[in-house]
Amino acid sequence: MSDLTADMELAARPAQGGRANPFLIVPITLFFLLLGLAVLRSPSLMTSAGIGSAIIVATPLILATYALMASVISGRGTVDLSIGPLIGFINVTLIQLHAAGVLTNPITIFGYAILAGALYQFLFSLIVVYVRVQPIIVSLSGYLALSGINLVILPRPGGIAPQFMADWGLGTTIFSPVFAILVLASLAWILFTQTAFYTHLRLMGSDERAAYTSGVPIYLVRIGAHLISGGFAGLAAVAFTALISSGDPSQGTTYTLIAVTALVLGGASLSGGRAGVFGSFLGAVNLYLITFCLATFNFGAVQSFVTSLAYGSILVISLLLTLIIPFIQRHVHNFSPTLYFIVLGVVALGVILHATQDRDPRARAVATEPAAIVQPLTPIARDRLYIGPLEVAEPGSNDSALRSQAAPFVLSALLLVVIAVFVRVAVSQSDRKSIAPAVAVVVAALVLLGAYLMRYEAPRNPVSGNTEESR
Amino acid sequence: MSVVSPPTPKIGLPATIIGLAAGVILTGIGVIFGFVQGVSVQTIILSAIATLAAFVWGWLFILGQFVSDAPPPAEGELSEGRKVWLKFRPAIYGLIAILALFLILSLTIEGFFNVWNVVSLLILLTIIVLTRTLGRHFQENRSAFVGIMVLSGLFSIGTMNIEGFASAINIKSMLLFASFLGIASVGQTLVALLGGLDLSIPFIIGAANVGLLYIIGLGVPPWLAVIIVLAIGAGLGVINGFLSYRLQGQALIVTLGTGFAISGGVQIVTSIGSAYSGNVFGQVPAWLSNLAAMNGSTFGLPFPPVIAIWLAIAIILVAGMRLTVYGRYLYALGVNRTSAKRVMISELAYWVMMYAISGFFAAVTGSLLLGWSGGGFIGVGDQYLFLTLAAVVVGGTSLLGGAGGYGFTVIGVLVLQVLSSFLIGIGLDFEWQQFIFGLLILPMVALYARSPHIRTQI
Repeated sequence: MSDLTADMELAARPAQGGRANPFLIVPITLFFLLLGLAVLRSPSLMTSAGIGSAIIVATPLILATYALMASVISGRGTVDLSIGPLIGFINVTLIQLHAAGVLTNPITIFGYAILAGALYQFLFSLIVVYVRVQPIIVSLSGYLALSGINLVILPRPGGIAPQFMADWGLGTTIFSPVFAILVLASLAWILFTQTAFYTHLRLMGSDERAAYTSGVPIYLVRIGAHLISGGFAGLAAVAFTALISSGDPSQGTTYTLIAVTALVLGGASLSGGRAGVFGSFLGAVNLYLITFCLATFNFGAVQSFVTSLAYGSILVISLLLTLIIPFIQRHVHNFSPTLYFIVLGVVALGVILHATQDRDPRARAVATEPAAIVQPLTPIARDRLYIGPLEVAEPGSNDSALRSQAAPFVLSALLLVVIAVFVRVAVSQSDRKSIAPAVAVVVAALVLLGAYLMRYEAPRNPVSGNTEESR
Repeated sequence: MSVVSPPTPKIGLPATIIGLAAGVILTGIGVIFGFVQGVSVQTIILSAIATLAAFVWGWLFILGQFVSDAPPPAEGELSEGRKVWLKFRPAIYGLIAILALFLILSLTIEGFFNVWNVVSLLILLTIIVLTRTLGRHFQENRSAFVGIMVLSGLFSIGTMNIEGFASAINIKSMLLFASFLGIASVGQTLVALLGGLDLSIPFIIGAANVGLLYIIGLGVPPWLAVIIVLAIGAGLGVINGFLSYRLQGQALIVTLGTGFAISGGVQIVTSIGSAYSGNVFGQVPAWLSNLAAMNGSTFGLPFPPVIAIWLAIAIILVAGMRLTVYGRYLYALGVNRTSAKRVMISELAYWVMMYAISGFFAAVTGSLLLGWSGGGFIGVGDQYLFLTLAAVVVGGTSLLGGAGGYGFTVIGVLVLQVLSSFLIGIGLDFEWQQFIFGLLILPMVALYARSPHIRTQI
């Protein structure tokens, strides 16, 4: 942890915890590996609908991971096993209350979900603080009680989600309300990390006695952490309801195990004090990508078994990878997760562009044929199936249209990367007397100009530009 | 403290006041319900006096045995009522909660107020009073005392309220299921004593269940198949042990990961070339069925051998952990690993060994469950994911390591089993059972396993 720049940054901006977290290496690497694999296997992921449905499916898990994060940071081994049943509980009560006509408009529904989550977590924290039972036992108790009562409230899956949620779960575009919830929740967490309360929380999680002796009101901090956790659990339940657009008493329960898994994959420490929103997000998305990648392979009857095997193995391997982090730190100074992310991001962008934009003409010629073939079992020649890794083809009119549609997305992605690099350089160089910020500003301006010109020309001459740009 | 019964036991004023108040409340309930049910006035008055007298006498007698002397006179800063409140606060909460629950149930449910329920209520109250008073004298084995009290209370309530609860066949079936849970919890207990967790137990149970039948189906002789499965189980435990030792503090998630992998891997192996994905069908050998089936017999005696096996395991473990050096080292590691290391106890060896034992006994449970059900099913262990943990916790083994033992877990297993039988007996569905399970774990643990206040840890 004696990274020089990290120390300097910490000294300069004490409130920014978790930013230079070397434990992010594993989730970042895994994320780009999986993303590349997923895109190569199924380029349809990188369409508006593909990303949209990915967001819809992954959001409940991401929010559940956030919910776990707040309480895990608070230490004492608080792994809230009851998070899954809690999501299920809010889901089924929401459906039943809606059916009874109590909850109708969106505001009361959101309010109810968040309040119910917060109330449960409030009780949880009161028990932990005043009865002083180990949190994991309280959560175990809550797990059993809630998963039992869920089945009482709604014995079998059914019910209808509120009307305004009906089209949320379709996932045809990226910018769905669920996406808005996800972005707002992430922003809320980032804002929360800027407060003194968060610093207290992390101190308490790392060393409760030190926090107590230095005058941190540990009871209030613990209760607050649980309230925040409950709020996120409520949001997760809303996103879950939107996803399945009905009530399900047992489906929510499965979120316990995968949310804990996602949290650990994201580099959090279950013993407290260390967790980050970026890591948790990546951890949850990684889990989604694992399932997605495996779904593109066809294993027939053993599909779910392969999924569970891969889940377990990846989990264990990525935990083992965290063991080599100290060695990396010893030999590579000035390691920056952000830069690492950006470098891998550029590579992954190249892979994405290759997978979505390049077509092998031989494969395309075959694609129209099978309709005419009478025996569907005739094997397609090996060389026709194979798409070379770097073969560039002349795009047809169909591809051109696609490309012109994709141009805005590619450009905005490039823009994001540039902005990230720029911000990174500007921040790290701000306290030194150098011309780097000025250079960065000039480069950024040039790139923006280029992007504008390309965007302007794109409809007329869509072939030019993008692929060369990414190489 | 003199056990020679004193004619008027010395008892503190606060305790007397509580006793009187509880007695009066109890009598009041009786009187109200007497009038509601239209019993004749003489009977009501008589029974009210009898109730009050019996209760107050019992209170004085039991408390008088254990409350040593009258407390020193107040210094003036605390009033009597305040002291009572401070001393008996949890017990008073418990009493009030139970009385309120009883009142509500009596008023809402028709025919709830009968003799048996009143007796049950009295038993419950006795348990609470006894654990708060007598329990103070069991510094070492408080949880075992609480567990036994709850167990006997539950059993007597069950016997009174449910027909056939104490019949031989019901007890046999309770013991049968308790032995499955007990054997599965062996590993969880040992691992918890080190401060770890093993969540791979249910997956290994399921994998052993399916894998054993698969290997038998391949034509391997059954005894060899069982040995292979048990060896693989122990081997998986060794892997778990190494991983959890390397990744200290992440045992929960490591074992979960290996569990997923094991369950997936075994299913892939068994379902390749099989039409029924996930399920395996085959012929279970007769001796294995006899081992675990309800109608099995042990050397001619009419109970399944698995109960005897469980008993043997329990005796060996309890004695072994008390008497052998391995057992004492295990506790030493759990209490303080640094000092244990200083006296040359190999931490790695114990982690690996305990996880190996855990894997082994999970495989044993899986094999026995195959004998019980007669067909392989990967999900057979699912309920043991949290039940083993609950049994360990309810029994009183600390999840932080170093305190507890297998004897405690046996009590925990029995409590869970009797409770579940009782709930089934009074006609509750599975979901209600689970709900009540969840709600009961918390107060039972709170009776003995409260961690000290932070200001005492500095």
